[in-house]
Amino acid sequence: MAESSFKISVPDAKIDELRQKLRLTRLPDELEDAGWDYGAPLADIRRLVDKWQNGYDWRVHEAQINSELPQFTRDIDVTGHGTLNIHYVHQKSAVPDAIPLLFVHGWPGNFLEVRKILPLLVESSPDHPSFHVVALGLPGYGFSEAPKTKGFKLDQYAEVGQKLMLALGYNEYVTQGGDLGFQINRRIARNYGGKHNKAWHTNFPIAQHPSLLSSPLAYLRALLTPYTAFEKAGLERTNWFETTGRGYYAEHSTKPQTLGYSLADSPVGLLAWIYEKLVAWTDAYAWDDDEVLTWISSYYFSRAGPAASLRIYYEVAKGDKRFPPPSEAPTIPAGFSYFPKEVIVAPRTWKKLLANVVIESEHERGGHFAAHEVPELLVGDVRKMFGKGGPAFGVVPGRTGYA
Amino acid sequence: MSVESPFIISIPQESLSLLQQKLRLVTFPDELDDAGWEYGAPLTDIRRLVTRWSNGYDWRYHEAQLNMELPQFTRDIDVGGHGMLNVHYVHKKSDAEYAIPLLFVHGWPGSFFEARKLVPLLTRGSPDHPSFHVVAISLPGFGFSEAPRKKGFNLDQYAEVCNKLMLSLGYNEYVTQGGDWGFIITRRMAHLYGPKYVKAWHTNFPGGTPPSLLTQPLSFLTVLFHFLFPSLNPQMQAGFDKTQKFIQSGSGYNAIQGTKPQTLGYSMADSPVGLLAWIYEKLVGWTDGYAWDDDEVLTWISIYWFSRAGPTAAARIYYEVGGGNALNLGKLMGTPEYTASIPHGISRFPGEVAILPKSWAKSNRKIVFDREHERGGHFAAYERPVDVCGDLREMFGRGGPAFGVVKGRDGYNSE
Repeated sequence: MAESSFKISVPDAKIDELRQKLRLTRLPDELEDAGWDYGAPLADIRRLVDKWQNGYDWRVHEAQINSELPQFTRDIDVTGHGTLNIHYVHQKSAVPDAIPLLFVHGWPGNFLEVRKILPLLVESSPDHPSFHVVALGLPGYGFSEAPKTKGFKLDQYAEVGQKLMLALGYNEYVTQGGDLGFQINRRIARNYGGKHNKAWHTNFPIAQHPSLLSSPLAYLRALLTPYTAFEKAGLERTNWFETTGRGYYAEHSTKPQTLGYSLADSPVGLLAWIYEKLVAWTDAYAWDDDEVLTWISSYYFSRAGPAASLRIYYEVAKGDKRFPPPSEAPTIPAGFSYFPKEVIVAPRTWKKLLANVVIESEHERGGHFAAHEVPELLVGDVRKMFGKGGPAFGVVPGRTGYA
Repeated sequence: MSVESPFIISIPQESLSLLQQKLRLVTFPDELDDAGWEYGAPLTDIRRLVTRWSNGYDWRYHEAQLNMELPQFTRDIDVGGHGMLNVHYVHKKSDAEYAIPLLFVHGWPGSFFEARKLVPLLTRGSPDHPSFHVVAISLPGFGFSEAPRKKGFNLDQYAEVCNKLMLSLGYNEYVTQGGDWGFIITRRMAHLYGPKYVKAWHTNFPGGTPPSLLTQPLSFLTVLFHFLFPSLNPQMQAGFDKTQKFIQSGSGYNAIQGTKPQTLGYSMADSPVGLLAWIYEKLVGWTDGYAWDDDEVLTWISIYWFSRAGPTAAARIYYEVGGGNALNLGKLMGTPEYTASIPHGISRFPGEVAILPKSWAKSNRKIVFDREHERGGHFAAYERPVDVCGDLREMFGRGGPAFGVVKGRDGYNSE
């Protein structure tokens, strides 16, 4: 299985096509004083479209990404689904015994989410552990090929992650992820935990209330433990998300192809679809317009096109459980980080059944895209988990992360 | 005093040009092998329709047909708290002297276009059946009506526009026909304006509320019995299965339109193929083997694309009525406060998206007509106009359960 080094190089014709489409943009109307109630506001979208057409230079950002992120592609065979050419970022730390870490993104993220945490994770210091970092581009995202066959579910995404790490010579590794990355990493932990995957960390530990029937003790504990202020706010935020913010999920998980025509054909449509989440799911993160446009462009210029990125929702909704029972919890050590503006914030008593939780950290700021919003906080938690004195220190034999 | 202006659909040439330019630049998504309809509208269908739309489909021809067939008008209607809205509607009078005024109310993704086949049937006079003066409104935000400008344009406002339109046409007493949002709006109209103005209402979208043990003990027990022994009533079970399938895998559009219509709206306004797929999926999914002609589909979609307010405005009804809460929207099938004093007629079509036991509609309506059909789906007036017309004629005709509900207008030429 040969690795090829990779540099993003979007063809001129594609950039031109984008420019032509933007020039023909037809914007909708908007209700007076709509604000964010009905979705992404017209003023924001208009401003971003104008910038995209005038002033935003993809080539500059493409070059920056290429200089910051060492990227590669390699073919990975997925049982029952043939061979997929997978794109990933791979940076080794200067510390030879650094801990191999697989970073798995979700939607509407991609490999770019590793950008800010990468230098922090690989950095060597006597005060904290370092990591060899692999940021997987999920099939159907970024510059990875998309599956062509139906039924590409969590097991298949997990298989890609596992096979990639083994192909890179990382027989034993840890993982970090949020959003779909949480579900994929949990599956990696379950399928490959112990032998290959030694521990996992997540910033998206979603859970539901323990069930009386299957976990009576946890149920009682959850019922009787008063909620902290953080948890109360979290439940409100969760309710807001479930009642007003999951429309995208309903469409992705039932008719991704129907929606896909819009996202593939309309740059402004794609922009709004993702931008709404970039703002709603973050903790007052001060997005720069170019930052947003680079994020969206990476979807627009993605190898398989934006429609492919939606199908994971359909496959997982059909074939995988949103809240697996405690009997299916992985046993390897897990670390949970709680950010206040995450979209689903479950009380701690609900989460305990999800995994073998060895460390929890609660934060005062940060949201869903923790690696991008608060990289130092997220990396801090990962370092604490795996560092000297931490509960998962030395979990990968021979690779403590220190020089 | 609102003034009526005759209306001719006449889309500016530059709009047609822009559409063509966009179609020329279309970017299609990929598709999984053997996807069929599982993941949404199939790529082959959409490709074929886009090709036709950009080469061969003649909007001007269909525009002229519509103008010829459907006499259209606009008038300003004042809506409490929302100012004046210019409303577009079809108004075709019957040749029968005492025809019954009937308001047809469409839903989403429908439009006044849905009444196209029904209008000539309903307006034709005959000694053998009643006929109707037909008004087919374009709801605010749809077709060639203006869209609301302010937040909070809710059911009461839609009902108000509809009622005021009929009154402004001199129809102080009238009946209604509607499905989809048309059902929900005309139900509200029956509650607010019946029996003073609305004398009877008919729907092809039955809906219904699960019976409660207290108010409908027999119906409740029937349902309970059914859940215990589902195989004893395969028809009822098939209905529940279909309904569940719709809720679980066919209502994504409902969830997004009910919560973030603006976000979705950028795609709908900007991408002809995006809009096409979004609606076409329902045109096929919600009909009963209806043999859509490509030009027929394209005309239906073009009305959305060329609509006065743009396609984004139409979806806001979901948000306003559901209060921006996806879970509330589901409760609409049932009935918030409703007093059933005026006669109600139901036509049931097997391809409808939700099939509920008949008794569930009884709970708070005065049902005088309830007919099941063997064929047809959600867009009944369009798919099965003869059936819908036949049902209306039976309901309102001599010997029918709602004969003579409108004083002095029994649907015939002589009393």
